[in-house]
Amino acid sequence: MADTEISTTTDRAPEAPPTEGERRSFRDTLRSAEIDARLAGMLIALAIIWIVFQIVTPGHTFLTPRNLWNLSVQTSVVAIMATGMVLIIVERHIDLSVGAVMAVVGMVMGAFQHDFLPDVLRFDHPLTWVMTLALGLVLGAVIGAFQGVIIAYVGVPSFIVTLGGFLVWRGLAWRVASGQTIAPMDSHFRLLGGGSDGSIGGTWSWVVGIVACVGIVALQLTKRRQRARYGFRLRPMWAEIALGVAGCGAVLAAIWFLNRYYVPAGIVAQRGLPPGTNVSQGLAIPVLLALGVAVVMTFIGTRRRFGRYVYAIGGNPEAAELAGIKTKSTVVKTFTLMGVLVALAAAVQIARLNAAVGSLGTGIELNVIAAAVIGGTSFTGGIGTIAGAVLGALVMQSLVSGMVLMGIEAPLQDVVVGIVLVLAVALDTIVRRRAAR
Amino acid sequence: MRKRRVWALLGLFVLVLAACGGDEDGGGEATGTTGGGGGEGITVGVSWNNYNEERWAKWDEPAIVGALDAAGVKYISSDAGSSAEQQLADVENLISQGANALIILAQDGEAIRPAVASALEQGIPVIAYDRLIEDPGALYITFDNVEVGRLQAQAVYDQVPKGNYVFIKGNSADANADFVHSGQLEVLQDAIDSGDIKNVGESYTDNWDPAVAQTNMEQFLTENNNDVQAVVASNDGMAGGVVAALEAQGLAGEVAVSGQDGDLAALNRVALGTQTVSVWKDARLLGQAAGEAAVLLAQGTPLEEIPDTVSFDSPGGNQMTSIFLTPEAITQANLNVVVDAGWISTDELCQGVEAGTVEVCG
Amino acid sequence: MNARNGTPLVELRDMRVAFGGVHAVDGVTVDLYAGEVVGLVGGNGAGKTTLIRTLSGAHSADSGQILIDGEPVTIETPRDAKELGIETIYQTLALADNIDAPANMFLGRELTTRFGNLDTSAMEDATRKIMGRLNPKFEKFVAPVSTLSGGQRQSVAIARAVHFNARVLIMDEPTAALGPAETKQVRDLINQLREEGLGIFLISHDIHDVYDLADRISVMLQGKLVGTVDKDDVTVDEVLAMIIMGKKPGQVTQRDIAELH
Repeated sequence: MADTEISTTTDRAPEAPPTEGERRSFRDTLRSAEIDARLAGMLIALAIIWIVFQIVTPGHTFLTPRNLWNLSVQTSVVAIMATGMVLIIVERHIDLSVGAVMAVVGMVMGAFQHDFLPDVLRFDHPLTWVMTLALGLVLGAVIGAFQGVIIAYVGVPSFIVTLGGFLVWRGLAWRVASGQTIAPMDSHFRLLGGGSDGSIGGTWSWVVGIVACVGIVALQLTKRRQRARYGFRLRPMWAEIALGVAGCGAVLAAIWFLNRYYVPAGIVAQRGLPPGTNVSQGLAIPVLLALGVAVVMTFIGTRRRFGRYVYAIGGNPEAAELAGIKTKSTVVKTFTLMGVLVALAAAVQIARLNAAVGSLGTGIELNVIAAAVIGGTSFTGGIGTIAGAVLGALVMQSLVSGMVLMGIEAPLQDVVVGIVLVLAVALDTIVRRRAAR
Repeated sequence: MRKRRVWALLGLFVLVLAACGGDEDGGGEATGTTGGGGGEGITVGVSWNNYNEERWAKWDEPAIVGALDAAGVKYISSDAGSSAEQQLADVENLISQGANALIILAQDGEAIRPAVASALEQGIPVIAYDRLIEDPGALYITFDNVEVGRLQAQAVYDQVPKGNYVFIKGNSADANADFVHSGQLEVLQDAIDSGDIKNVGESYTDNWDPAVAQTNMEQFLTENNNDVQAVVASNDGMAGGVVAALEAQGLAGEVAVSGQDGDLAALNRVALGTQTVSVWKDARLLGQAAGEAAVLLAQGTPLEEIPDTVSFDSPGGNQMTSIFLTPEAITQANLNVVVDAGWISTDELCQGVEAGTVEVCG
Repeated sequence: MNARNGTPLVELRDMRVAFGGVHAVDGVTVDLYAGEVVGLVGGNGAGKTTLIRTLSGAHSADSGQILIDGEPVTIETPRDAKELGIETIYQTLALADNIDAPANMFLGRELTTRFGNLDTSAMEDATRKIMGRLNPKFEKFVAPVSTLSGGQRQSVAIARAVHFNARVLIMDEPTAALGPAETKQVRDLINQLREEGLGIFLISHDIHDVYDLADRISVMLQGKLVGTVDKDDVTVDEVLAMIIMGKKPGQVTQRDIAELH
């Protein structure tokens, strides 16, 4: 097995110099600027999708601040879970149970804040949301760790364990309230789901944007300084500046655009403001959560030992084991992390819906896996990025939202999303094969 | 080491089972009694598809047993645990236990057909309870789903006779979703044709999922710049999603919203005024009708002589003898109906309702 | 060659490993002194790799004793072996193809900043330094190792073993996938490391390779040790006779040699 692996690589000429006169393609430009070609490609695809929808939707409502604001909120639940699914798939595992775990954690959080806490504290106590969320996150972690232990230490394939979980947790979710809907949710807890109250307003959105901007530049500077310290080749200055300006500009432009979505007239009236007042809604809390999760998960995936081990295990499990990595406990940690993310997503979902229902998250595991895969995560293991998965989730939700605006019925929406999924992976495979040559 | 692992797994399994056991005892064996009423010696068997669903144990079974008791008929039952295969065996078991008539809540209306045909051949009448079984020899008893749609549309139309309507339909693969929607259109079609009502958005909802309904509603509101006056949602769960979307725009309570099932959360919304109507299907009426019909059939009454039957052309092309019960529209005006029936407590119904706004809440 | 006196650096005593009913390694005893290369040879399935995996921690032995500097030690995981200064270059190279050369170099032993974050620049720097010594033409420090040639991959695996100040080096078929020029490079490296005082177990089924490099040769056949001989005392043919017939040099007849050819 390993012999063939080596022999296929030996007949490749080492360091073949580029033939003279080879035209400088777009990819080469990207490479010299050290930009991830796949991410760039996805951004372009997303832009095309958005422009097409803007043209074909009746009333050209797609590229309006309001619709993009909606889109950002609608994407956040899947995006939060997709960041964890990337690590699971990178590790050559799968988690089919995320929808069911979401249901059971959601129902427990719903029952806890609706039936239990009001008796202990009082109705609408300001601590309710903290305790509920904490309980949910712990429960998610326990469920994830439990599945992870069976996978890593007992050695049952993750497909089987999480397929079992898919049935078990869904069934237990039903048990929590015998199939009843639990509603409404605590008023503070509901802020996790967004809405006008669950958004941070225009000013704070600008603050977030500027902080993000400073962060981008600071990251570039530290990296550059470090590489300079060791005397490594530096990214060309023009590329560095262009990247910084583009990153910063994109962030600020997004904030500016979304800030043009104003608090709806009905809410303005409820707040007792004069009619016609334009108050920016600002970024929604679930969107901030999703972005925060994406940043933290990227950090964990690329800058921490744990993340490095996840990728190493995915690339070559035996090599990871021989390198002295504790592969089993790494797998358990990955599933535990997934459980925590699922619990967070469940909190956002029930807060947004203002109800916990047993059918919570039905079929969402497929959306989460599809988001990761559209984002370039490979089932052969070892390959995938958090940013890609978040973009993948955004692409999928854009398609669905746009098609609803166009009045396309649900079964046909599924047809389109299914085709896009296969198309994206096919394209990815072709590009990757060509790059390997 | 390995042994310990096995024990740990076993222990966990037992724990999970115990959690599943809990407060209810499953749909076990005979709970029937004998009494007066001319039904001595007769046994009626009921095959539940999944007794674990709260509704059957809480509402349907006592109603069936009540009707059988009144006639002095013995009650036996079985639970298929959501397995179509198990239900085939269950039906045979009930027959060998001496059932003279069967009431079947089918897990799968297609898969159960061989067992139904075999029972009918042995001269044992069959009642298709709540869910259709495509066999013209069976008696089909259910709530009228088309009527559900009519009641939803009527209640919304009464409040908003003119304006922009959104239709949130059920799962596209579920025949009931289309039955309900056809009832809605029966009521609204004239107004749509005359232009009084404009359909500004219509969508099926995967799995009747409230979260999907919410997302779709957000898109319809965006598309119409909030110019929506009424939402005809096909059930209460989806109505919950719709109301959440309306709340985010400060429109909850201003837009008429329909639903069905009499969900506790939905009835609370009706009391609060954010939902207009929940069409309620009182399971006890269904159970009683089925119990009474089963006794008559077991005594040899031919299908067509059972009272209140109508002929129904099923989607499968069969002419079914059917009993359609009329559901009831629950609005703020008649909330006392669900309270009086013991369906919901005043506490649950009135949570968050301002005093003096709704009669039953005081 | 080097004098072998005092305590051996490594001693494997009466090692046994069985898979199911098959005795892959059946009571084998070998030793290794500092500054020498011991060739471990034998046909396919002779048990050389299995024996050596008990020393590298990849597989635990059913019975037997491992001594380092005369002290008995327990090696149950690759981590144990590394802590004792035993580094291994596996035949498969054991590289994670999807990550770059520095990441593979430091896999399981990453350099971190004081906050516990990966210090990628420091790791790249260290990799550049050691590669400058082992394979000066190596340039792909930020590409996944799947894009490297066989020789380049080999040098990454070797660099990983050498970098952490190993005392004992296990090389399982280190030249199997290499061209002539790269093979010579590896040979030079082995000689250089021996000079530096490392003990090296060299596994190969290429007898000429071993004969050229090793100080002593241990021959295995069907899980058993046929014998250990000083390279200087034997001819290639005699070693071949040991590998194929299981006969010690004294027992080999001219006819046996003739049969071998």
